[in-house]
Amino acid sequence: MAFTIKKSWSDALVFGLSVFLIFCLIFESYIELPSLVGWLGNWHPLILHFPIVLLVLAVYVNLVKKKISRHLLTLATLTALITAVTGFFLSLGANNKGDILFWHQWLGSGLALITALWYWLDGQKLGQHILVKILQVLIVVATVFAGHYGGMITHGEDFLALPSGNSLDKIPKDPIIYDHIITRIVDEKCASCHNPNKQKGEYIMTSLKDLIKGGKTGKAIDLEHPDKSELLRRLHLPKEDEEHMPPSEKKQLTSIEIELIEEWIRLDASDTLKLHHLKSDEPLVALVNTFIRPDATITWRKLPEVDNTILENLSSDYLTVKRLANGTDALSLNMYAPPQYSEHMITGLTPIAQNIIELDLSGLPIAEKEMAFIGTCINLEKLEIDRTQVNDSTVTQLKALNKLKILKIFDTAISDTSIAVFKDLQSLEKIFIKDTRITNQGVLELQNTRPSLNITYTIDEELVSYFIKDSVSEVISEKK
Amino acid sequence: MADKKNASENPLKINRRHFFSQLSVGIGSLALGSLLIPDLFKGNSPTLGAKPLGIPHFAPKAKRIIYLFQAGAPSQLETFDYKPTLIKRMGEDLPDSIRNGQRLTGMTSGQEKFPLMPSAAKFKQYGQSGAWISDFFPHMGKIADELCIINSMNTDAINHDPAITFFQTGTQQSGRPSMGSWLSYGLGNENQNLPSFVVLTSRGKGNSQGLYSKLWSSGFLDSKHQGVLMRSGKEPVLYLNDPDGLSRSDKRHLLDHVSSLNKMHHVETGDDEIESRIAQYEMAYRMQMSVPDVMDIKKEPESITKLYGEDVQVAGTFAANALRARRLAENGVRFIQLYHQGWDQHGNLPSEMAGQAKDVDQASAALILDLKQRGMLDDTLVIWGGEFGRTNFCQGKFDPKTFGRDHHPRAFSIWMAGGGIKPGITYGQTDEFGYNVVKNPVHMHDFHATLMHTMGIDHEQLTYKYQGRRFRLTDIAGNVINDILS
Repeated sequence: MAFTIKKSWSDALVFGLSVFLIFCLIFESYIELPSLVGWLGNWHPLILHFPIVLLVLAVYVNLVKKKISRHLLTLATLTALITAVTGFFLSLGANNKGDILFWHQWLGSGLALITALWYWLDGQKLGQHILVKILQVLIVVATVFAGHYGGMITHGEDFLALPSGNSLDKIPKDPIIYDHIITRIVDEKCASCHNPNKQKGEYIMTSLKDLIKGGKTGKAIDLEHPDKSELLRRLHLPKEDEEHMPPSEKKQLTSIEIELIEEWIRLDASDTLKLHHLKSDEPLVALVNTFIRPDATITWRKLPEVDNTILENLSSDYLTVKRLANGTDALSLNMYAPPQYSEHMITGLTPIAQNIIELDLSGLPIAEKEMAFIGTCINLEKLEIDRTQVNDSTVTQLKALNKLKILKIFDTAISDTSIAVFKDLQSLEKIFIKDTRITNQGVLELQNTRPSLNITYTIDEELVSYFIKDSVSEVISEKK
Repeated sequence: MADKKNASENPLKINRRHFFSQLSVGIGSLALGSLLIPDLFKGNSPTLGAKPLGIPHFAPKAKRIIYLFQAGAPSQLETFDYKPTLIKRMGEDLPDSIRNGQRLTGMTSGQEKFPLMPSAAKFKQYGQSGAWISDFFPHMGKIADELCIINSMNTDAINHDPAITFFQTGTQQSGRPSMGSWLSYGLGNENQNLPSFVVLTSRGKGNSQGLYSKLWSSGFLDSKHQGVLMRSGKEPVLYLNDPDGLSRSDKRHLLDHVSSLNKMHHVETGDDEIESRIAQYEMAYRMQMSVPDVMDIKKEPESITKLYGEDVQVAGTFAANALRARRLAENGVRFIQLYHQGWDQHGNLPSEMAGQAKDVDQASAALILDLKQRGMLDDTLVIWGGEFGRTNFCQGKFDPKTFGRDHHPRAFSIWMAGGGIKPGITYGQTDEFGYNVVKNPVHMHDFHATLMHTMGIDHEQLTYKYQGRRFRLTDIAGNVINDILS
């Protein structure tokens, strides 16, 4: 009878595969795979989807007290076993099994064997026995966990972790270069393929020892000849090159990140080095500072929402209100000499005051009320009030602007009295004060209290005289 | 009949019947599309042209560009690419291994020999960066630490028209939008009272090639993105001023009536160019106030005008245009393109180039200084360069005093400064003959991609659908040169 032949054939196959799987698991360390068999392992990620679906389906049908088709169970059991065996082959390619792979292997194999047991019990007409129900629940649980661990191996451990809001907060002000900077870059761009569970090229990058040790191609970091480090060579190769890392379809390192790694290796790839150990002219200092400076767009996320219709209503032929980038509520605002200016044009902007990040009011006759308004734009990062009527008393309104980075206030009547205000603007990076009443003395005072502040006061005199003298002498020589 | 014509001319203005008949096909293809392209409906994956216009795709470093275009193609060997080997091997024939099959123009293809000719100018290193700059450009030398010199530019074209068209539009055939138009289309006007793309031209005494308005044309983009040529002299824009006897309020009435007529016509035909026309009338009305003010350099203090050199007082010179460019930039014009003609030195290179250099050297450098002291260099990208390079061998009679150089597409030099570009570096390298790029090549498409990147635009995302396919400035190529970004 055709039915019995088929039955015994599938029974034999299930039995055979189960025994083979158990054999594999017991003698794991003695097994050397021929390459063709190893290639079979590559099919694991494809096949594994079948048992997941078939098992859940079979369990569901059986649990709602329908008698299940023997064919369905046969197919589910066979694919589960084949998946386990191919998975085993694939895992032999990894030379060092990490925790996740360990759990995945035993959960997966266990799952396949429990399924085989169910198959056998079902064959003994015990399909509705309470023991089988317990088995079925176990099967579903094991499917979920084996699948989850498997996913972590291919996609990285953090794949399902919740997005961690502002991770930049974690970097302390005086970071340990390795722990806080290098590890961070490696985790983000390298570790998903080079971790104890998925050692591409036999290279693990998650510990300093392994990071230096390298993989198949040998030492990754050469402390004696930092420039010759394999790691750096690969980073610097053109993206199209086969050996370039990360692979071209993966997220690439930025040039700053590469330079950071390079400089850190040059300074002996230490895991204790802190930012304050470095001299201020060391290139690494500037790199670290740029790296840990919070990305502007992240701070902009906290801004109140503004609707496009509000922006459209506020904009006019003389006032341009725009988002600084697609999808942010950070605004830039520009006013161009309107024929009839009134202070309401500016004070009327109160509804969006907190969203204004860049404000350009150059050349407008702004006075007290407008300056008071500017004082309420607490998120301002760039302010242009050059060629305006701003003076020493109205400039005090700027005191509240503790996020202000760039201030253009040249060609105004401010004097040394205003220096006190500028001194207290903690975020200020650049200030432009040519053609004001501020004296050399004032500039010096400001520079001394704020050494890192970039002050543009005049063009270098030598340069000016070169440009101006030159044009005069040329005219004379031409006349001759 | 009229309906049919309308539909063919304005395919977007379809009626209800069209709409429903196409809806079914549309939904079907959406479903199919999502099967074929799984990312089609994922929110965060980039879909072509999905980004709203008028806003940068990401926060930009540069807000505007001043492009000092040197039309005719200045020689890289007399500007920024220092090649001492040419001095040693002067007069020797260009080795075939270096020329490597490079095609020639009709002007030198008849030459029996290609004798190497060293630079007509001496070179010096300048600034902390030690950039090599020729003695033709001493003022640029003084600001070398602000410049990012690129010695590895290369293009596909070997003659002026295709090469300059390539620079302007990203392709050698005419008809596509100019880069200034693309930026205007992508970012919109910053100042509603001035065009977002302005062109200023000047001409040196050197051998010139033509300039034509197709170079600043908006191609298939809306005509409001077209570059506006501002002339030197009293009337920067022709016919902008009201004729005698017409008051500004009369003009207002006139515009209102013309506009209402135009709107009627728009309702009838649905042609969107009519809306552009209305907008342009309004813009011109406002420009009557803004243009004279912006273009008047008499308002600049002497301390500034003197920086740009004596020429600045002569309307229509490069120096005067450079200063006007700064004023335009300050008033929110996004893309200001200067052309200085006269760089096509097929003969008499040493003397002609010295003259050309004198026209532009001081003013170009002064522009950088001026922008810097006003805090504008951080968000203004300045670019200086021509459409291709020139040969390292002599064209015409082998005489160090009167020699010429022919066109050379494989390598040439430009510089960029400010807005999002690393200052004080020299990028890219040619071989010892200055003929082939050997390190970090920058192709035209890469240049365009980088330029758009500094303005906050992903060059692959800014597209315009025309005649059945999406176009972009970089067409189907281009990589942002990350190494030169600050």
